[in-house]
Amino acid sequence: MTSSEKSFLAKHFSHVYVEKEVLSHPVTIKILENLRSSQIVKIDNYKEVFCRAGQNYSLQEKSKKLILAKKYREFLYPGPSICHNFGYDNFFYTSNILNCIYSCDYCFLKGMYSSANIVVFVNIENYFKEIDAILKNQSLYLSVSYETDLLALEKIVPFSSAWIEYAASKQNLTIEIRTKSANFKALEKLKPQDNVILAWTLSPQEIIEKFEHGTPSLSSRLSAIKKAIENGWKVRLCFDPILATEGWKTIYEKFLNQVFGELNREKIVDISVGVFRIPKDYLKRMKKAFANEITAFLYEELENVYTYPKELKEDMIATMISRLEDFLPSYKIFVV
Amino acid sequence: MIYIVTAFHAEAKALIEHFGLKKLYEPSKFQIFSGNDIILIESKEGIVKSSIATTFALTKFGAADKDIALNIGICGARENTFSKGDVILCNKIINHYSKRAFYPDILIKHSMKEASIESFMHPVKKDSLPLEIEGDIVDMEGAGFFEAASIFLPLHNVHCIKIVYDFLDFEKINPVEIENLIKQSIPHIESLINSLLKLNFEFCNNTPEIDNIPLLVNKLKNSLHLTTYMTNELESLLKDYIIRHKKLPDSIFEFFEVQINSKKEVKNYFDKLRKILLS
Ligand code: SF4
Repeated sequence: MTSSEKSFLAKHFSHVYVEKEVLSHPVTIKILENLRSSQIVKIDNYKEVFCRAGQNYSLQEKSKKLILAKKYREFLYPGPSICHNFGYDNFFYTSNILNCIYSCDYCFLKGMYSSANIVVFVNIENYFKEIDAILKNQSLYLSVSYETDLLALEKIVPFSSAWIEYAASKQNLTIEIRTKSANFKALEKLKPQDNVILAWTLSPQEIIEKFEHGTPSLSSRLSAIKKAIENGWKVRLCFDPILATEGWKTIYEKFLNQVFGELNREKIVDISVGVFRIPKDYLKRMKKAFANEITAFLYEELENVYTYPKELKEDMIATMISRLEDFLPSYKIFVV
Repeated sequence: MIYIVTAFHAEAKALIEHFGLKKLYEPSKFQIFSGNDIILIESKEGIVKSSIATTFALTKFGAADKDIALNIGICGARENTFSKGDVILCNKIINHYSKRAFYPDILIKHSMKEASIESFMHPVKKDSLPLEIEGDIVDMEGAGFFEAASIFLPLHNVHCIKIVYDFLDFEKINPVEIENLIKQSIPHIESLINSLLKLNFEFCNNTPEIDNIPLLVNKLKNSLHLTTYMTNELESLLKDYIIRHKKLPDSIFEFFEVQINSKKEVKNYFDKLRKILLS
């Protein structure tokens, strides 16, 4: 964004909409302390703002607002079939934040919600309570940064650290925090936990610049990963989604060389690889709000999911796997 | 187009002068002024009248997505945290009776204060203030205007701007004073309008080819006798094609002059077109 654009747009979180019921919740108070100059607007229910008719998603992305709310019921959801469970049974995900501070052109959230604003369910203690009850009878593999990038928001909403601290005391719980953030500093003071996987999504710098708006550069993500590994954290790398943009073979080849030239491959827990895929209905909605290389691609439909035509997809996966196997044993590579 | 809705002439006068608007002498139940891409309509007092006037103006002059609608007028403030003449951009608009609340999308910086407003059917005075009131300021039009305008326009283009006139202890309204207060608030209003125009212009702009799509689609619809379903599909396919190829398909112009004699021909031509656009 140029400075002239910035000069007339309200900054992100210029407004915080707060459900009256959570006005005095400790998490709300903490968040508002970090956003002292924002306008606070009291609301009854987050849907009044988040689900309004007449919102312009792509314009809202220029000035995202924060909505603080209370979540009722359904704190966990079974992992969807288009995501990998990495061999764990009982794969669930949870969403105490909806939407993301970044703006990737391929993000499924753009097809899921009619608003680009970010909802934070502040009552994280209710999520913990629900999980406590489940853990009594079974173990759980939980993706906690599913409909957002939790770590990217850590400065304002300290939920990554809250989840890690919670997981620390739970034997049969494994959590994955997936991120593109380079903000490892926010976790530096925490003790690394065996049952916490920090999963970084990595993309070639060309892809970042073209499609992953607002996200940190590849080199700053790699620096964050290096620090996390040095500090003893379990790190997963996610090469997902791989995008079939012009020259993808050369772009990804160079990228993998850079990644494994910089990172200690022995210390990587595992890797996930997947090509772009999206539920059919989401793409339909994305098309209405955005017109770009991602939405205009001629995808193939398979069981209500759009993805690249079979041959291209196979070529992309095979190319990636064959290169990745130069760096890591195949049992550490998961194809989504 | 910028639509301005005021209740009274005293609220409209300074705006009419500043923007150089002229009265429209067409038969209408409302006083309407226009000029320089602005339509100003005087609704008269109350939630319902404001809603009717807004709907009338936006319908009569054909509101489009990039148009802006503003309700400008005076209000009463509940608290003394405000001063007379404060210009307020409303961030929440409550209909006191239906309890419905409306939220404009404030995506741009502005030079006004912000507050929530609650709209009543009758003038509200301090000693008769209902207990369950939530708005920081009160008026008699905002909620009616907003509910109507937001049916036609996206939420970032609909705003209520209110100027504090009294503290709910007023006796009589002084039109000259109102005119002066509105006049003083014009720099804030004008700067908001400029930012909104910039927002709509800079970020809602497509490539010239994509901007031409509705015209092209309409031409093809007429020449090929396309059904509504086909027309919608064509529009989406054309858009994607342009994004992928950065241009229109050369052969598309051949379809403008086609003579159609049967439904079967419609289908054949559409399938042909579809194939081209899916390359
Ligand atoms: S970082 Fe993830 S959640 Fe955020 S916009 Fe990108 S893809 Fe979506």
